[in-house]
Amino acid sequence: MKKDLYVFNSGFLRRKDNTIMFETDEGKKYFPVEEIESVFIFGEVDINKRFLEFMTEKNICVHFFNRYEYYVGTYYPREHYNSGIVILKQVEFYNDYNKRITIARSIVEGAVLNMLVVLRYYNSRGNMLKDEIETIERMRHNISACSDVNTLMALEGNIREIYYRCFNKILDDENFTFVRRSKNPPLDRINALISFGNSLLYATTLGEIYQTQLDPRIGYLHSTNQRKFSLNLDISEIFKPIIVDRVIFSLVNKKVLSEKHFEKELNGIILNDQGKKLFVSEYNQKLYSTIMHPKLNTQVSYKRLIRMEAYKLQKLFLENIEYKPFVARW
Amino acid sequence: MDIYMTGVYIWYYNICKRQVWLMAHSILPDENDDNIVLGRFLHEYYYRKDQKEIKFGNAVFDILYQDKDEIVIGETKKSSRFKEASRYQLLFYIKLLKEAGISAKGVLFYPEERKKEEVVLTAEEEEKLEKMIAEIETIIEKESPPPAATCRYCPKCAYREYCFA
Repeated sequence: MKKDLYVFNSGFLRRKDNTIMFETDEGKKYFPVEEIESVFIFGEVDINKRFLEFMTEKNICVHFFNRYEYYVGTYYPREHYNSGIVILKQVEFYNDYNKRITIARSIVEGAVLNMLVVLRYYNSRGNMLKDEIETIERMRHNISACSDVNTLMALEGNIREIYYRCFNKILDDENFTFVRRSKNPPLDRINALISFGNSLLYATTLGEIYQTQLDPRIGYLHSTNQRKFSLNLDISEIFKPIIVDRVIFSLVNKKVLSEKHFEKELNGIILNDQGKKLFVSEYNQKLYSTIMHPKLNTQVSYKRLIRMEAYKLQKLFLENIEYKPFVARW
Repeated sequence: MDIYMTGVYIWYYNICKRQVWLMAHSILPDENDDNIVLGRFLHEYYYRKDQKEIKFGNAVFDILYQDKDEIVIGETKKSSRFKEASRYQLLFYIKLLKEAGISAKGVLFYPEERKKEEVVLTAEEEEKLEKMIAEIETIIEKESPPPAATCRYCPKCAYREYCFA
């Protein structure tokens, strides 16, 4: 299976014959291009047109992150899996508000069910989350009554706020206390971790959408037009609790991350380079860990589950097969 | 929609009718699937494209040569697992040549199995092909693909994750 390339150091990223070469003051490193699926760039990297042409030829997305705002953008090579009928149908499902809200509701439903899976797991291990679970269960029933996307987004935001507050019971570490969700910049360490993890997931999901015929610009919960890509934000919602949040729990509870991995910036707190590397390493382990897929009867990685989520939407558009979001079993 | 009938459609039709529709609508299988990568490699390794591949109208023959007074066209396959499909694909090419006034014989090559098999277009086979072509056109013209149905080819198919997601 192909891997993602993460670049943290500063240097020159270029094409050397038929491989990717990363040149720093310390020397040159080579990465066989056929083994790379996407490139994530965190460091101060110089690239040239020849390199981007190479990425286009090999259908590799290049995601850029900066120090403060995290996700900057993606070099998204021209589509290689292109199908006129899929785009037409994808637009049709956006323009028909009934169809659009149905998809948006399913996405929120999937996200909330996965939050509950996470909470129930920690509740069964004595973290006393019974009240929060009940509250979220009650709020979940309002999803089906939401008739417009804004109300739905607001409801999802309220549920997520309760969910994030549970982190204080799951994470037994006073250095990682959640007060309320804050972005741009994150105001505490937990928010810094959530922001960083979510931006990684958005990029990963975008890379998976690139492997389908879907257009990432057309989203259903997150409106099209307000930003460049939105379908990846939609699909990411479903996977945040079971990928990003579980990575956070693991890093904090196993004491892999501590205060020294963070730094104060622009009135906020961000992960430093060492912290980012530790996060990325755990995140990748999670992406490539597998579960038994009930329908395929084979082991499937979390990364592939994200792709399959996009496939499910594509099948809704083309074949009218009801879209059921992925819900983890534990 | 204009259908540009190709030998590949004949091949897919004999394996999975859903695949015919997906292919015709540019919904391609996962190109990084192990079996697809292997197939591409074998094709390039055994029969160098620039030397052997010959275009005839919209058909592409892997191999073409003269054997005494007869023209032979060949098709290489990874394995004989899809024997029937491969046979009809080749028969379709022979039919194309026949319509152009060229009489040819076909041979299927399975280099990995060190096997080959001769294929001859009979009147009966030709009639079957005509029917297949008509059915393929009907499938492609439908608004959505035939539903996914499990068959013995599914476990190794590069569409499996798409069909069963």
